[in-house]
Amino acid sequence: MLHTKIIDIKNSKLSIEKAETFISSQDYGASIFFSGTVRNQNNDQIVTGITYDSHDELVIKSFEEIYYETSQKLNIKNKSVFIEHAKGYLSLGEISIVVAVACKHRDEVYVLSRYFIEEIKKRSPIWKKEHYKDKESAWLKGNPILHEKD
Amino acid sequence: MKVKIELYGASRDFSKQSFLNFEVDKNSTIKDIRNRLIDYLDEKFNGNENYKKIVNSSAFCSADNNIVSDNYKITSNEKIAIIPPIGGG
Repeated sequence: MLHTKIIDIKNSKLSIEKAETFISSQDYGASIFFSGTVRNQNNDQIVTGITYDSHDELVIKSFEEIYYETSQKLNIKNKSVFIEHAKGYLSLGEISIVVAVACKHRDEVYVLSRYFIEEIKKRSPIWKKEHYKDKESAWLKGNPILHEKD
Repeated sequence: MKVKIELYGASRDFSKQSFLNFEVDKNSTIKDIRNRLIDYLDEKFNGNENYKKIVNSSAFCSADNNIVSDNYKITSNEKIAIIPPIGGG
């Protein structure tokens, strides 16, 4: 089972509770909730917030590709996965991403959770513009996108 | 023919709008679009080198949401998205 969504934070917020409701099942004995939040510093700069930009369709496609490839690459077929990413301006401490996974055993959820967040970083077209206390806002440099055919 | 370039991430600084419209030759490719964007930056931003680096390090996405190569042929009125280096999460 897979749930994916880009959340425009003008309309809604990300929440762990929603993820818990989705992945909760008596079929699974292990679950992990990963959340990314906006922190107050980066590269020796005082950060006051981050604006997230997203190519929504391509991001959702990348989430789905990562989900389906975990069946083959990691051989984890029986799983429930919830992924939401924020879009728009987030203040310090607000949640930018939730990756929640549930499987039968703990080994699988640790591997799966880590795999999702690392692949999202490499393959999902999401951008961050950092806002600073004492200087002009700036887009973070990032890395060229990797995609399925790479 | 007309082509619409949708701007994302750092490329949003290229315009106050979220897109650029270009008139390009029939059978133009992504490589031609990349060059057209460089010409645009020379003209509008005095050849801003940081902006040019963004264009040269970007991927491009077709209207049907596939990352496409520099040889990809654009169709008339196609919407192409520029995908600068990414870093979400």
